[in-house]
Amino acid sequence: MSAKTLTAVFGHLDCMVDAVDAVKRAGLVDFAATSPLPREDIEDVIYEGHPSPVRWFTMTGAIFGGTAGFSLCAFTHLNWPMIIPAGKPLVSIPPFLVITFEATILFGCLFTLLGLVAMCRLPGFGLQPELTDRRFSNDKFGLVVNGLSDAQVDTWKTTLATLGAQELVVTEADHA
Amino acid sequence: MKGLTYAGVTRDILRPLFKPSAAYLGLLTVSVSVMAWGGYCWWVQLVNGLGVGGYQPPVFWGVYITTFVFWIGIGHAGTLISAILFLFRSRWRTGVYRAAEAMTIFAVMTAALFPAIHVGRAWNAYWLFPYPNQRELWQNFKSPLMWDVFAVATYFSVSTIFFYIGLIPDLAVVRDKTSGIVHKMYAQLALGWRGTDRQWHHYLAAYGFFAAFATPLVLSVHSVVSWDFAMAQTMGWHSTLFPPYFVSGAIFSGCAMVITLMLPLSRIFDWDDYINVWHFESLAKMCLLTGSILTYAYATEHFIAWYSDNPYEWGLFTYRATGEDYSWVFATMVFCNCIAPLIWWKKSMRTNLAVLFVVSLIINVGMWFERYNIIASSLAHQYDPAAWVYYVPSWVELGILLGSFGWFFTWFLLFIKVMPAVAIAEVKELIRPPLMADEEAA
Repeated sequence: MSAKTLTAVFGHLDCMVDAVDAVKRAGLVDFAATSPLPREDIEDVIYEGHPSPVRWFTMTGAIFGGTAGFSLCAFTHLNWPMIIPAGKPLVSIPPFLVITFEATILFGCLFTLLGLVAMCRLPGFGLQPELTDRRFSNDKFGLVVNGLSDAQVDTWKTTLATLGAQELVVTEADHA
Repeated sequence: MKGLTYAGVTRDILRPLFKPSAAYLGLLTVSVSVMAWGGYCWWVQLVNGLGVGGYQPPVFWGVYITTFVFWIGIGHAGTLISAILFLFRSRWRTGVYRAAEAMTIFAVMTAALFPAIHVGRAWNAYWLFPYPNQRELWQNFKSPLMWDVFAVATYFSVSTIFFYIGLIPDLAVVRDKTSGIVHKMYAQLALGWRGTDRQWHHYLAAYGFFAAFATPLVLSVHSVVSWDFAMAQTMGWHSTLFPPYFVSGAIFSGCAMVITLMLPLSRIFDWDDYINVWHFESLAKMCLLTGSILTYAYATEHFIAWYSDNPYEWGLFTYRATGEDYSWVFATMVFCNCIAPLIWWKKSMRTNLAVLFVVSLIINVGMWFERYNIIASSLAHQYDPAAWVYYVPSWVELGILLGSFGWFFTWFLLFIKVMPAVAIAEVKELIRPPLMADEEAA
């Protein structure tokens, strides 16, 4: 007996939030919720207490960028030691801070982009077909629950219909 | 935004895509023609050398550097609106920020042409960037010109990333509303975005960080540009006032340009639900705030020149305002930037679309003349009276200036036909979501 996937389509946000909450409370972990816009109420149900690790990419990038920016200035001035009038030191902090700042921002952003791509698993061309319903980017919310047994499918069909699902589709493919 | 639905928002914002009207094609033709004229003028300069410009010693910074600073300034409003106002959770930014971000990118692309045009041998522009070479020759990172290279390059990179990341969910919407080759193209651009909980979770976190990085960057870029001048021992330039003075001027001109671009756009595409008087009035208020700071900066630099008891400094500021060469430039600047926007203090004037459009154009003219006033007069009237000259731009310089507008508007016109010019997902956040509770109550 292969595991089944149940896809529920919702037209109302409150129904969607209740459905996600029910799935989460039931202990199911292999599910995905899609929405045409970012909704913190859905995110809170699924990720409360679990901030995105993207922030670690950001911090790493910023520290790397700042260090690299200052090092670039210091290294190049020591490598090409121009005699600057007025007793200015070769490695001078105030003018190099500008490059350090710019490199901090630049690499902070580049690493954040890297973190976003890695954590979102972009490009996401290999996502399961149930998530690719064109309505999910327009005006419908989707809840895709994977790895259900036949008995579970029947139970969840009833539950999600009660919670306001407008459409319920069961597929055979196992994406777990 | 009452009465709007998610599907309605998608339909309204995607409506103008891909179907160019005769008026649009006419505008694009004009824009491309102007760009081509600018390209021809640049070609004339490349063939004949910088001598075809109006430079005369000691004036070697003229229209090109003026126009560079002008376009960098225009580029400030986009990231300000998209990043700073995002962090402040300002609701009016939503309708205009996408087009303002695009404006930023195209303005910085335009500005970036000018240092290459200005130095003459544009094919050597890569010398600006640090790269290992056999002579172990490196740039001088103590020079504000090098700071500028890094500031503008970083600003362009970060603005482009911020713009594209914001665009991804909307590209997915376009993908799902198209078919054939167009669908395939947008599918690639959208990177397989499906709006899953996982994607939104990390997206929101990353977007906040981008905004947090872009905020100090916006304020720093024009500060760094101002140091191109303020670090020099040139009368009228060597002032610690310059960074806030330039930043306020940049935001002033950028917000005016957003009004100039978005007002016709909202009328032509019938986007009154998304971009309306509320947005334009908010932009006008931003202009009033930054314009007031700018006027204060003009007054302060003149006061300090007098109060410093430095005869050279005071002599230059007197020359700028009353000298026979550049007083008309000074008068144009003061009228356009200090006097004309005052009309917006009256609510009926800043909610009148015709007045908004005309005054925004006046501000754009004034802000170009402000940079011309700073650059040309200071260099033409330095310490040695024997070296005083009157710099007048040549037809080549003015042709390239005109061409820069063609280049900018061509990009912008192409953008509004292939990308959603209003942020679909964020507009949907502003409207009341469809709730079963509402239907049951009804």
